[in-house]
Amino acid sequence: MGVLAGEIFKEKECGMKREGFRPDSMFSRKMSRKEFMKLMLLGAATLPFFKFFSNSAEASTPNFNGRPKRAVEGLYDLVVAKGEDPYSITLKAVESIGGMEKFVKNNDVVVVKPNIGWDRSPEQAGNTNPQVVAALIDMAFKAGAKKVKVFDATCNDARRCYTNSGIGAIAKEHGADVFFVEDWNVVKANFPYESPMEGWPILRDAIECDTFINVPILKNHGLTTLTLSMKNLMGVCAGRRGPMHDNIGRKLVDLTDFINPELTVIDAYRVLLRNGPTGGDLEDVATMKTVIVSTDPTLADTYACGLVDVAPESVQYIEVAMNRGFGKYDINSAHKNFINV
Amino acid sequence: MKKLIAARMISQAFFLSLFIYILWSTTYPLKGTLKASTFFNFSPLIMIITSISERVILPGLAASCFILILTALFGRFFCGWVCPLGSAIDIAAVFTRRRRKEDDRFNAKAKQPKFLILAVIAIASLFGIQLAWIMDPIVIMGRFTSLNLIPAITATVNLLLIFTIKAFNYNSAIQDFYRTLKSGILGINVYYFSHSGIIFLFFLTICAFTLFKRRAWCRMACPLGAIYALAGRFAILHRVVEKCISCGRCKSDCRMGAIRDDMEYSKGECVLCMDCVYDCPQHATAFRWSSGKIGAAPGKAGGITRRQFFLLAGSSLFLTGFNFKDRSAFRKTDIIRPPAALKEDHFLDRCVRCGNCMKVCITNGLQPVLLQSGLDGIWTPQLVPEIGYCEYNCVLCGHTCPTGAIPALSLQEKHEVRLGVAEIDRSICIPWAQGGECIVCQEHCPIPQKAIKVQKDVVGDEVILKPYIDERLCVGCGICQSKCPVRPIRAVKVSSRNSYRT
Repeated sequence: MGVLAGEIFKEKECGMKREGFRPDSMFSRKMSRKEFMKLMLLGAATLPFFKFFSNSAEASTPNFNGRPKRAVEGLYDLVVAKGEDPYSITLKAVESIGGMEKFVKNNDVVVVKPNIGWDRSPEQAGNTNPQVVAALIDMAFKAGAKKVKVFDATCNDARRCYTNSGIGAIAKEHGADVFFVEDWNVVKANFPYESPMEGWPILRDAIECDTFINVPILKNHGLTTLTLSMKNLMGVCAGRRGPMHDNIGRKLVDLTDFINPELTVIDAYRVLLRNGPTGGDLEDVATMKTVIVSTDPTLADTYACGLVDVAPESVQYIEVAMNRGFGKYDINSAHKNFINV
Repeated sequence: MKKLIAARMISQAFFLSLFIYILWSTTYPLKGTLKASTFFNFSPLIMIITSISERVILPGLAASCFILILTALFGRFFCGWVCPLGSAIDIAAVFTRRRRKEDDRFNAKAKQPKFLILAVIAIASLFGIQLAWIMDPIVIMGRFTSLNLIPAITATVNLLLIFTIKAFNYNSAIQDFYRTLKSGILGINVYYFSHSGIIFLFFLTICAFTLFKRRAWCRMACPLGAIYALAGRFAILHRVVEKCISCGRCKSDCRMGAIRDDMEYSKGECVLCMDCVYDCPQHATAFRWSSGKIGAAPGKAGGITRRQFFLLAGSSLFLTGFNFKDRSAFRKTDIIRPPAALKEDHFLDRCVRCGNCMKVCITNGLQPVLLQSGLDGIWTPQLVPEIGYCEYNCVLCGHTCPTGAIPALSLQEKHEVRLGVAEIDRSICIPWAQGGECIVCQEHCPIPQKAIKVQKDVVGDEVILKPYIDERLCVGCGICQSKCPVRPIRAVKVSSRNSYRT
């Protein structure tokens, strides 16, 4: 190429020199064989650097053994709060279970993981109620949290979901770190027992925290009948999540065991009864004005089933949890507290 | 102090940055102060030719007429001071020797082809064929910027930052910076466009011509330049030389070859680059409103010879011949077009292939077609659900289209627009073929009443939910195909059957 360019741009008789004219440029003269070889070698020398660069950018992901089980005991096993204002019922419910100070210590990093999966408005009940999220962020900061992260791996376009769910704006307003999840910023799940989730990429932000607060919304779902706290944890998984739906019950229980959320807050303020998990039709939405708070995801999920008259056994992950003895599911023997705000 | 050249360069840099900025901000939520179609509206070639060929009044006509009036006052200032492709070509010219011999006979011939091209385009437009898109500089630059430049920049910045974060430490200030960038100016998507390399080569070739003859594209081939050359002939602004010593410096330095041996110049070719003002050793060249000693006479107008006339007539007839055939006969028809795009024949004529819709598509699903819809359908948009689906609540593509090939829909209209219809291949669908749990398609279906329904079947001792399509509700958005976990061929596919075209 150099030779060709040299021929085309042969030196010509030229009386005047002008600014900006570079007589020594690569294209303005013929290239010697030596120069050509040099250039080629230089080019080849950059290749290993590029390989190193791309390898580093796609470096192998480290393994992670799951978040430690802190097993914080609340004053009650389960608190159910009802009332007009989603913000204040969340406040009261968490206060009743022992207050946020029980779960969040000074300078803690807190993850609040709502459901922001869909490009839907709060009224359509596709995503967690933004007021519930706001209440949790406020309480976490009041308890001394250094940082509150709010994120979800969305199904529709992330920008649309964060905006239209109302969570993006309200969480930012209340001081939380709101960001879009990064597919490359993950760890590989490592289980002490054999699990279908072995090696699945889990978002680093979800496991590098002191307190994990899971804030699902109660709604209908095609495959699992209901999406509840365990189903909501799918939002910390990266990668292609389609194949997760095979043997979903087992996978979600293992995932919950891996993440170990300290606190589960189920938003049942507006409940999508049919055509979930996306919804869209306001006639499918019932207003129940309830928030369920528990330290035990299985117990919270089992109780939430009762709200919409679904047998807990028909929800795959609750069924698996029951068979495995993962958490409590006997609502009658649980220590409950009901509050009306 | 070369004030005028500095002013020209600042103007070029400003409009090139503005052009890139407008296309950069052509993304969700599309709240830019300038619309994505701004520059395209100021291209009389696109606006007038499309208006004639499609028998419509495009809103951009007013802007185009405005710029034509300006050209009639100042001459071809657009080419030298504004045109983003012209600026890119000037940047490419950094690699050339500046001074070269200019030959009058060559220059006189070299400026002809663009008028011929413009004439072919104009005649074809009378017969309802829109060919302006092929060589319009704004379109070429826009397509390059949207489909090559911006994706390349975002991918590089993204990779560099990821590398830095991975190599040093996570949860650092760099990561915070990265997240701010991603949720702001950089955007969360790193876009990919199929066969964008060919688009890049097309652009590169046009720029590379300048290595052989400066501004070769602008002075020989550009049909928009031809329009401006015609309008610029009447320009009131003149190049005036007093006390000329016929040294010929201005002539050998003229990037457009507009100055002749007798030191007169063809006004239609001059792009007002202002080089000659500072080349003149007598400091006697200037641009003035009144005519001076030299340069007043327009000289021999760049007319058309008899041979050229026959060439023109012949090629126009050849091109119009396409219109009388049934063009759809040779076309692969199962291409999913953007929502409510015009009917195929009209769509191909109206679409200028600027790439705005593909740039703005929130899921990256709109991709340039290569040859699937025939040679005349090259670089038109199609939805490729494997790459991205049509977001149910999104109407952005129609709002960026400069010619209305994709109508600007309201959200309510969009919800009822069918792009096609989905079909489930039961021989590979996981619940149907293997009796496994899946129904990811049903889960993602955005229709409030769910266009994908499930039936409960007992397989062995298990209840399996099997999906099927309710064709009355399906709008063919393609999210089911996009999210289907079956590989390599998806078990649910959208075809353009039943699509709604305006």
